[in-house]
Amino acid sequence: MKIRHSLLLSALVLAFGAAHAADKTLLNVSYDPTRELYADVDRAFAAQWKRQTGETLTIRASHGGSGKQARAVIDGLEADVVTLALSADIDAIADKGKLLPANWQSRLPHNSAPYASTIVFLVRKGNPKKIHDWDDLAKPGIGVITPNPKTSGGARWNYLAAWAWASREYRDGGKVLDFLTRLFKNVPVLDTGARGATTTFVERGIGDVLIAWENEALLTLDEADTRAGFEIVVPSISIKAEPPVAWVDRNVARHGTRKQAEAYLRFLYSPQGQALAAKHFYRPAEPDKVADKAALARFPAVDQVTIDGAFGGWKKAQAEHFADGGFFDRIYRPGS
Amino acid sequence: MTRPTRLGLAIALALSTLPAHAADPTTQQLLARIAALEQRLAAVEAANAAPVATVAPDELDQRLRVVERRQELDAEADAAKAASAPALSLNDNGLSVKSAAGDFEVKLRGLVQADARHFGGDTSAAQTDTFLFRRIRPTLEGSFGKLVGFRLTPEFAGDSATIVDAYVDLKFDPRATVRIGKLKGPIGLERLQSGGATAFIERGFPTELAPNRDLGVQLQGELAGGGLSYAAGVFNGAPDGRDAATTNPDGDFELAARVFAEPWKNSANALSGLGFGIAASHGDKHGSGNNFLPRYRTPGQVQFFNYRSTVLADGEHLRVSPQAYYYGGRLGLLGEYISSRQEVRAANGTRADLENTAWQVTAGYVLTGEDASYRGVLKPSNAFTLGGEGWGAFEVVGRYGRLDIDHDAFPLFADPNVASSAARSWGIGLNWYLNANVKLVANYARTAFDAAPGATARDDEDIVFTRAQFSF
Repeated sequence: MKIRHSLLLSALVLAFGAAHAADKTLLNVSYDPTRELYADVDRAFAAQWKRQTGETLTIRASHGGSGKQARAVIDGLEADVVTLALSADIDAIADKGKLLPANWQSRLPHNSAPYASTIVFLVRKGNPKKIHDWDDLAKPGIGVITPNPKTSGGARWNYLAAWAWASREYRDGGKVLDFLTRLFKNVPVLDTGARGATTTFVERGIGDVLIAWENEALLTLDEADTRAGFEIVVPSISIKAEPPVAWVDRNVARHGTRKQAEAYLRFLYSPQGQALAAKHFYRPAEPDKVADKAALARFPAVDQVTIDGAFGGWKKAQAEHFADGGFFDRIYRPGS
Repeated sequence: MTRPTRLGLAIALALSTLPAHAADPTTQQLLARIAALEQRLAAVEAANAAPVATVAPDELDQRLRVVERRQELDAEADAAKAASAPALSLNDNGLSVKSAAGDFEVKLRGLVQADARHFGGDTSAAQTDTFLFRRIRPTLEGSFGKLVGFRLTPEFAGDSATIVDAYVDLKFDPRATVRIGKLKGPIGLERLQSGGATAFIERGFPTELAPNRDLGVQLQGELAGGGLSYAAGVFNGAPDGRDAATTNPDGDFELAARVFAEPWKNSANALSGLGFGIAASHGDKHGSGNNFLPRYRTPGQVQFFNYRSTVLADGEHLRVSPQAYYYGGRLGLLGEYISSRQEVRAANGTRADLENTAWQVTAGYVLTGEDASYRGVLKPSNAFTLGGEGWGAFEVVGRYGRLDIDHDAFPLFADPNVASSAARSWGIGLNWYLNANVKLVANYARTAFDAAPGATARDDEDIVFTRAQFSF
């Protein structure tokens, strides 16, 4: 009697568990300026997946400041994949959330960065304040728009690019800090994300220069409403920004979406994925796969440092510059 | 300093500089001096105003835009914060805290029932008239994410606090939820009604044959848009009408299941309130005493049948209960039948397979026009207001029921001191719902008994029970 009853119940539970298997949905938690890119990627991949497997895949997206998004995932936002602005944010998900292995970056080509960008200046048409390089941003009377490095991955790239220029220019730590202090003193508004900073500069008309992702600046010039009012200034030195991607192992295991999540990210490296990256002004990691050479020609030559070469990698840069009490806290005080 | 004030001061100064011995100036001279002073003052004011004019309009515009953008960002941050903040609500359903996403929720609910009970004077089963708390039950329930739900209900109305419900739900799907813990066994239709929603103060005879709370695991769910519900579980095994022991005393389990259909639930027709189903339980019981064998009670909660203390439950226990209700507008009908068959063994080794049965029909009609329902009158149209026009909702109820003991129980297995062979009871009642939270109840019930073979029937039981109920 005991065994018979237990078996009956077990069979019922298993039967309903199997019946519970539902349509697949992927949640891509991404950073601020990738809205347009992933809207295209999601459509293209879902169609390809349907053709290849017959399975209907729904892809949902969440966008926001990269650091903020990483914290949301750590706090329980059940991302199947994360496509964030910098590897430190995914490292945080691995370290603090234990949601994916520490070696996540080695699982996909190019350190899991299917595309790259760099940091440029967007200025008002005619460049009325004569902004040509980083030192112009620290001059009195210049309004500089950049988001908050505490919440925005793009802002951290901006900050580090400025640091890289100052290090090469001054070769003196005190002068570097002084330069960045003066630069951030010229920042009237700190948005939480890169898209918000673009809104502040482009739509609200605040400031003289936006330190921006190259893709965000090119997007502004590509839009009919805004292209007439702005122009891009390429600084003498910038930084190679490689936004990485990863599937979140614990979440995909829970959702049964590992296969779909990995295929989705590998799609970014396909010719179609690389072409979409170029279309949305990201520099493809494998430009040879992009047939439309005109799309590649839009990217100007820029002298770029790398995060590993100039700062010893993201973990070190994060700890030294952006952790509580780091250099950023020393050079910037809200309201100062 | 305003212009007239400055001008006045300048005139006063000018006048004060005039030599005291000088002859009075002419009007023309004075007017000339005033004109000169006005020219000098205008020059001074122009000089003072110059710094303000150095702020460029563009700079002022930028300052204004920055202030506006900061306000915009603050508003966005406040909105984001508000959107992620849990929502606290307090209303007639109790207190609840719900996460912004809605998948985490904790609710505090409660049920308090204070009774005044009067027994008719000629009953042979002596019961004292009394006030008592029938139920004092706070309930903490809610969900932790989409998967996990829970309920915890202690009981403070007895001599010591006990746990009434304590279970966790794993909500895989509305069609499949696994409930684990202490819960009502899925047999009796009236038993499955909330204690605050029953038509009468005490449940009828079929509930005496159905299990009460039991410990186990149950798979349950709703199919066909809620038109068909089911529950099936494995339990320790509770005796008729009572809770199961805190552990499984004989090591045998009981399988219980129920299927209930409301085929027209989602239709707007006269049959939308019709529900019917069948429930059954099956298991073995081996042992004597209250953990294994029942003691049947009247609606006045007086025992009228018990087994001898030497009798053992010894084998199969099978319950079957067809059941139905109908709620259409003001009218409510509930009927159920239950058979409980238990293999027993007397002290001398004699065995019997005793089948006790019970049934009842309960009807209710809401005089004030609100809808009757399985959950009672949920909310009066016009809540009672002191000195106002609202009187709440009134519902009249009536019930007839019967419980029959298997004749083979006499005389070997039945306790001769508490051994009626059948009980028949009818009752009427009035439920006054003052508002969604307060209900006043008055019941009258008369129960007649059939005597065991060779014995004399006990006197009829007359009861007048009243109740004040507060629930949220």
